Amino acid sequence: MTKLNRFVSVVAAAGLAATALVAGTITSADAATKTLVISSDLPLQGSSFDSNDSTNKAIELYLKSIKYKAGKYTVSFKKYDDATAAAGSWDAAKCAANAQAHVANKNEVAVMGTYNSGCAKIIVPVLNQDPKGPMLMVSDANTNPGLTKAWNPGEPDVYYPNGVRNYARVCTTDDNQGSAAAQFAKSIGIKKVYVLNDTQTYGQGVAQAFTTEAKKLGLTVLSSGVAGDGWDAKQSDYTALFTKIKALEPEMVYIGGIFDNNGGQLVKDKVNVLGDNTAVKMMGPDGFTGYPDLNKMPEAQGMYLTFAGLSTDLLLANDPKGAGASFVKNYKKAYGKDPVGSYPLYGVAAVQVILAAIAKSDGTRKGVNNAVFSGSGISIPAKQSVLGKELKISTLSGDTLAKDITVEVIKNNDETTLKAWTVK
Amino acid sequence: MAISFLKRGEKKQKQSASARKWAISLTLIALAIWAFFTYFFDKTPDAVQSWFQVWLPPSTINESLVWVICALGLNIVVGYAGLLDLGFVAFWAFGGYTAGWFMSGFFHQVNIHFGSMSAKVIPGIHLSFWLVMIIAALIAGFFGIIIGAPTLRLKSDYLALVTLGFGEIIPQVFTNGENIGGFNLSNGTKGISPIDAIGVFGKRLGPFDLGWKFLIYFFLAACMVFVSLRIRGGRLGRAWLAIREDELAASMMGVPLMRTKLTAYAVGAFSGGIGGAVYATHVNGIFAERFNFSISIILLAMVVLGGMGNVWGVIIGALLMAWINATGLPAIGDTFNNTFHTAINFPSYNFLLFGGILVLMMLFKRDGILPEARLKMISHENDDEAANTGGH
Repeated sequence: MTKLNRFVSVVAAAGLAATALVAGTITSADAATKTLVISSDLPLQGSSFDSNDSTNKAIELYLKSIKYKAGKYTVSFKKYDDATAAAGSWDAAKCAANAQAHVANKNEVAVMGTYNSGCAKIIVPVLNQDPKGPMLMVSDANTNPGLTKAWNPGEPDVYYPNGVRNYARVCTTDDNQGSAAAQFAKSIGIKKVYVLNDTQTYGQGVAQAFTTEAKKLGLTVLSSGVAGDGWDAKQSDYTALFTKIKALEPEMVYIGGIFDNNGGQLVKDKVNVLGDNTAVKMMGPDGFTGYPDLNKMPEAQGMYLTFAGLSTDLLLANDPKGAGASFVKNYKKAYGKDPVGSYPLYGVAAVQVILAAIAKSDGTRKGVNNAVFSGSGISIPAKQSVLGKELKISTLSGDTLAKDITVEVIKNNDETTLKAWTVK
Repeated sequence: MAISFLKRGEKKQKQSASARKWAISLTLIALAIWAFFTYFFDKTPDAVQSWFQVWLPPSTINESLVWVICALGLNIVVGYAGLLDLGFVAFWAFGGYTAGWFMSGFFHQVNIHFGSMSAKVIPGIHLSFWLVMIIAALIAGFFGIIIGAPTLRLKSDYLALVTLGFGEIIPQVFTNGENIGGFNLSNGTKGISPIDAIGVFGKRLGPFDLGWKFLIYFFLAACMVFVSLRIRGGRLGRAWLAIREDELAASMMGVPLMRTKLTAYAVGAFSGGIGGAVYATHVNGIFAERFNFSISIILLAMVVLGGMGNVWGVIIGALLMAWINATGLPAIGDTFNNTFHTAINFPSYNFLLFGGILVLMMLFKRDGILPEARLKMISHENDDEAANTGGH
């Protein structure tokens, strides 16, 4: 038993040492003046690193440009990473840990994020039950509709155990993008469509929305199932799939999904079996935008695409002297390159919503959240909004009221903006 | 030879005393952690709290216990029975989805409540956490036998490949399991969330009752330690060790190879199932994306680094690697950047650092942090011979 005693005393000594170490840091932290912390919660490892790193940089640049002020409050910015090495991408356990950290970090009042809807589904309920909250989260990129509106059974109420909303987003949802695509299809005279999806959350979401809206508009949907037919990303050839589709004589094929899920082969086989994109049209969601590889494929020419929001091009073209355009210019000056993809600007827009809420609040978590979900809510005037037009958040759902979709077409090996589409 | 026979009884006594020492120390540490986070943490100064948030957040402690439970399961398969398993993540997934099925509103078609703390009005299957633990362990154990069955005749590398296949297939089934003949098994990539709160003695554990959850997770991990140690000393455990050290010799001595290997898989999977269900309650949801190959590899690294076959070593290995993965690397990176005013993106070097640690360990301490005595003897057998011949 003497050995045991020695062991216990070693442990106790280690504990004491740790306490002493902690005590040493107290004074330095107390000296700092109290500022409100806003944070970002994004996956900073894996394939989405470039885009999210660019979002963080854009937010830092924006906060610097407004001198870290929100109304009478000074704010500071803290970055959280919701990815881990073990998972190689966003990690549910890290999201759960971050949720606890947001709540535990006493000066933190709001979170900008997340990038992945799955991660938001873990963090939002925790922030919602914060005893000093609920704590506000505003996302730049979650397009899963279930977070804010009735979608799967129980949604969205399961994410708000307190019964109060605390989640908003500045991007439109998958269902809007699908609806816009269906409305666009009708506008160019399509009567019979076939819908495919890549069997993932995002792809099914847009495909389902497209199917529902197409049926509502009186188009004939030849595929069965609420989200059409699934294509298997691991399959090497889709000739059989399109041969089956050919017999049904569709005028358009809608492919809900992302290009990474073997989209290149799918596009190739579509053209091989059904003919080029003037004979039988093809349309995809923003999961097919931003890929030079796709744009350069001869089979992709004439393919229609949608983007959930206004593409950076359209934004700059619409309003070359606006807040968005000058921000992009400043970004290029500061970092030597353009922001990666369109999400960094949406990240800044989300921060604008948070800052406006802080300015309107009493500086507490509850106050900041109330500023968004009660009274007149938050709206960013067109002049200030980096998105180039007024940004208004619904006080009921937290969704942005702007349902802007950009319709693009692949032409001359490039994505070209066809028109802006407002969802009816 | 005679001397070693004489000393055997004494040695055994020594071993069990050492196990008791470890068990008591770990329990004391666990109770201290529980008391600290449950009663004292809120009262400590802000600086202390933020120090813990950076270096040792309570949620990381809880998460590492999930890894400990799973690593202990894998230790039985790899460390005791010597069967290389590259697909352990499958059992973790089974456990997680069992919690998803039986502790949430996922099956909204039915309304079954049994011992759960969730409101009666919410449809779905809501069973008690403890019942779900048992179901998860049994389901995972059952699939452990299924995977074990076709691999019985395989050895070493071939066996590893089959387990690898199993570990790839199961997560794929969950990823694509949204529409299996019209039945939604797993909700696809959307995952299942949220999961019901854990209930203990009529108390509902909310998202901020981390101290209490810690105690529950610790209890489950302790059960796995108990099971591991007890089986190891028994007939079955000794049969596993015999197979690990020489399969042919073991079968010659009358060890039924197939049955013994199958039990190793089943017991390991049993533990993985519990770990998975605990994980689901820890993150409050279950998502198919999580269950990829690298999780199996990290678990294997925990077992190998900690010391294959040594329960305490595996625990230390799992705690250490889980901490590095969840908190350690980012925290060290931030501190480094703040101290030297650099802007190195440490998380993007995670794999490099992980790999580096593994290589260094294998170079300088290949038996693991706390090597198992038997394995150490075997792996240094040749060293001694070399030293002896050198001396002559």
